[in-house]
Amino acid sequence: MSSELPESAVPPPTGASESTSGPSRRTFVATGAAVGGAVVAGGAFFVGSGEATAAGVAPSSEVSLTVNGTRRTVTVDNRTSLLDLLREHLGLTGSKKGCNAGACGACTVLVDGQRVNSCLTLAVRLEGAEVTTIEGLAKGDELHPLQQAFIDEDAFQCGYCTPGQILSGVGCIQEGHTDSPEEIREWMSGNICRCGCYVKIVRAVEQTAGRK
Amino acid sequence: MSPQPQAAVGAPLSRVDGVLKVTGKAEYAAEHDIDEVVHAVIVDASIGRGRITSIDSRAAEKHAGVVRVIHYGNAPKLPYRDNAGSNNPPGRRLRVFQDDKVLFHGQPVAVVVATTLEAAQHGASLVKVRYDAEKPSTDLTKAEPGEPTRYARGDAEAGLRSSAIRLDLTYELARNHHNPMEPHATVARWDGNRLTVWDKTQWVMGTHDEIAAVFGLPADAVRVINPFVGGGFGSGLRCWPHTIVAALAARVTRRPVKLVLSRKQMYFGTGFRPSYEYRLRLGSDRRGRLNAAIHDIDAETSSYETFNEAVMPAGQMLYSMPNVRQAYRTVPLDVNTPIWMRGPGFASASFVIESAMDELAHELGIDPIELRRRNEPSEDESTNEPFSTRRLSECYTVGAREFGWDRRNPKPRSTRDGDWLIGLGMAAGVYDPGRFPAQARARLDADGTAVVEAATSDMGPGTYTSQTQVAADALGLTMRTVTFRLGDSLYPPTSPHGGSATMASVGSAVVDACDQVRQQAIKLAVEDRESPLYGVNADDVVVRNGRLHVQGSPARGETYKSLLARNDRSHLEAKGSYNGPGSERSAYFAYNATFAEVAVDANLGLVRVRRMLGVYDAGRIISPKLAESQAFGGIVGGIGTALLEHTVTDHRDGRIANPGLADYLVPVNADVPDIKAIYLDGEDNAGNLLGVKGLGEVVQVGVAAAIGNAVFNATGRRVRQLPITAEALL
Repeated sequence: MSSELPESAVPPPTGASESTSGPSRRTFVATGAAVGGAVVAGGAFFVGSGEATAAGVAPSSEVSLTVNGTRRTVTVDNRTSLLDLLREHLGLTGSKKGCNAGACGACTVLVDGQRVNSCLTLAVRLEGAEVTTIEGLAKGDELHPLQQAFIDEDAFQCGYCTPGQILSGVGCIQEGHTDSPEEIREWMSGNICRCGCYVKIVRAVEQTAGRK
Repeated sequence: MSPQPQAAVGAPLSRVDGVLKVTGKAEYAAEHDIDEVVHAVIVDASIGRGRITSIDSRAAEKHAGVVRVIHYGNAPKLPYRDNAGSNNPPGRRLRVFQDDKVLFHGQPVAVVVATTLEAAQHGASLVKVRYDAEKPSTDLTKAEPGEPTRYARGDAEAGLRSSAIRLDLTYELARNHHNPMEPHATVARWDGNRLTVWDKTQWVMGTHDEIAAVFGLPADAVRVINPFVGGGFGSGLRCWPHTIVAALAARVTRRPVKLVLSRKQMYFGTGFRPSYEYRLRLGSDRRGRLNAAIHDIDAETSSYETFNEAVMPAGQMLYSMPNVRQAYRTVPLDVNTPIWMRGPGFASASFVIESAMDELAHELGIDPIELRRRNEPSEDESTNEPFSTRRLSECYTVGAREFGWDRRNPKPRSTRDGDWLIGLGMAAGVYDPGRFPAQARARLDADGTAVVEAATSDMGPGTYTSQTQVAADALGLTMRTVTFRLGDSLYPPTSPHGGSATMASVGSAVVDACDQVRQQAIKLAVEDRESPLYGVNADDVVVRNGRLHVQGSPARGETYKSLLARNDRSHLEAKGSYNGPGSERSAYFAYNATFAEVAVDANLGLVRVRRMLGVYDAGRIISPKLAESQAFGGIVGGIGTALLEHTVTDHRDGRIANPGLADYLVPVNADVPDIKAIYLDGEDNAGNLLGVKGLGEVVQVGVAAAIGNAVFNATGRRVRQLPITAEALL
């Protein structure tokens, strides 16, 4: 199997003794001269070895917040968004990254009961905050009424915007912006659904609001 | 054999994966929990064409958490074997980190791998790349086209000259990006020389084959997994460079690597619906009978691959006329390669043809529907084949009635609602749905449940649900007792999940596999002396709710469970296949008539869609609830194309000027009004077992024209550029 891949091209990933030499050195040999950290290859000039020599850790902070009813104390890189904290550190991938710029709403969660774009919220700001994500909306096996309404109305297709739509819908209902389909449309317009399920999302929100 | 009773097929069921999706438990490409995964972020070329002269990665390498910086100066050379049968267009595919050339703005020039996402992102910003830049060519209207693909029948030039009415119209269609909500993402993990990839793709086998070809690996050394796709619309139909980057980075760092494209990178890291310049000359007699059409079509492609799509067929077969000439030229530009996007080719052509038909109707003073009826063909005039089914005329009739077409005032700018000018428009749509080879495996277990598997995908239409419906009926089981699995290259191979092909193709393979399993069970029963069915003609046995019985005598029978237990069988299993339409000789197309009502602010030029209706001739509908959602989605996509979507390129340096969802506008909830979808009852058994025609594409075809025609009816202004913006109407 390894003969399929030229040995000089890609080193096998196994073998600890290879870990410091790495592919860059092999490639350097293959492509020409290596002088210190600078390499000339194909007429281009490379500074740096490709291998990291980084030391230390990035500036970080400790933050305590409640996520879906569970108190969490975490040390996070100060650059970490709430969305990345949820997805990359806490394993709560129900909150989605669609644009990472506050333009699509896929990352919508509730912070202290308010719907927010978690991609625009720095995690370190949230000391003492209560965060509800899609994973925390159902009570055990009993779905939140809006989750059930989304299924009943078929208010989603690919499902990627759905957690954000549902949390935004919960917020919309709590805010009382559900007096008419037109009002729901306006107040749900921060959440893009590229599959185009808007008509059914409005129906699901309207029905759930009506039951309250 | 006795036809199986239809219980699940045709029932308006909710999605079988609904709970997973509304609870956040559906795992998309970047969401699988892979131990020790590190993060990769691509560094994009900041020039539109030229070569890399130097790369300084020192600052990035010193940044805390960065593991490695990989670029062409240190990347391993990859075999990049040819990959016949792939969706790679003709040309030489982009080879990541293999040389110093930059072919388009945003091309990957390096990748930074770090232990955290934050470090990888910041590290990527610290890599200093210098270039020898050239001015890129990115303007479709100013570049040299390639050799045309031609079609002709009759003498279009003479036909046009002799026509009483002649129109000469040029339309410009903007580039559109799919923008699925889930960004493209790949997680790659090597175990020795075996590679597992979790990748956002609409074709796990395609990604599998491409990775094997690029890395020179045997087929069984690669596995691609993708159980959920967060939208695609075509963007996942080929394996993109970032997938290779992720696998390469994992190889080099000996760590599992997660690479998620940013939304910005989606605008050059994946393909797009190409922009078009499309000149149509149309000739008819004074009663509206078409005589000739000349189509001169230019579309963008990249400098390194020639992307083609089906932009020609609609002009050949939608309407009857003796004389047609077409020339379709792709124009190589310093851009990344386009890819099919919902209703590929047909959606673009239909905007032109259906807008032009509306212009002709206005010119002649004929109702637009009546004009179309007068040009309804009796066969496919490009092949002289009969239509398998064509019920477009019925779509018009139903649509006109349901929409209240008789209330339309044919005189433009004659209906007002305060400051709003009101207009009604319609258009026809057509699509050539795919029927591609596929395989599936069905296994009936001793407990009376079944598992059916195929390496297909579900980007949103509901493959999980609709294939479960098909399998349940073919096996004679309930929905609850059948599990359909997809999204793994270890399952039986299928063709791409696209082109409206999945139900006809994978569905036919599923039926075949399930029919075989059912027949095995029936044979076992009728040959088993201890079975109540012993001695019965196998053709007289049906299965319902997991119980085999004589057709018409439900009392005489037994369950799968008792049959398998008594015969000491742990399971019954079969592999089914579908080989495509074969020798089927008929013109197989899906159709629609789409209607739109718009309001245009008389002072501001703002266009608001008020209501829309689509009526579809799409064969049998397997899953009505989900089919309705797809129709709504196609209409919403069409609203985007008509009024909002436009990828803008800065021709000075080839940069995308609006690479994000704040600047590339797509419809939001407030843009989408009342929508209604009607599927005509019926079936079309041309070359497939299920009577389906495929519906995911046709629902978007014609939508933009219907809206544009409504804008004309509202304002008297004909806008021949997409999107139709307020500026164009002022």
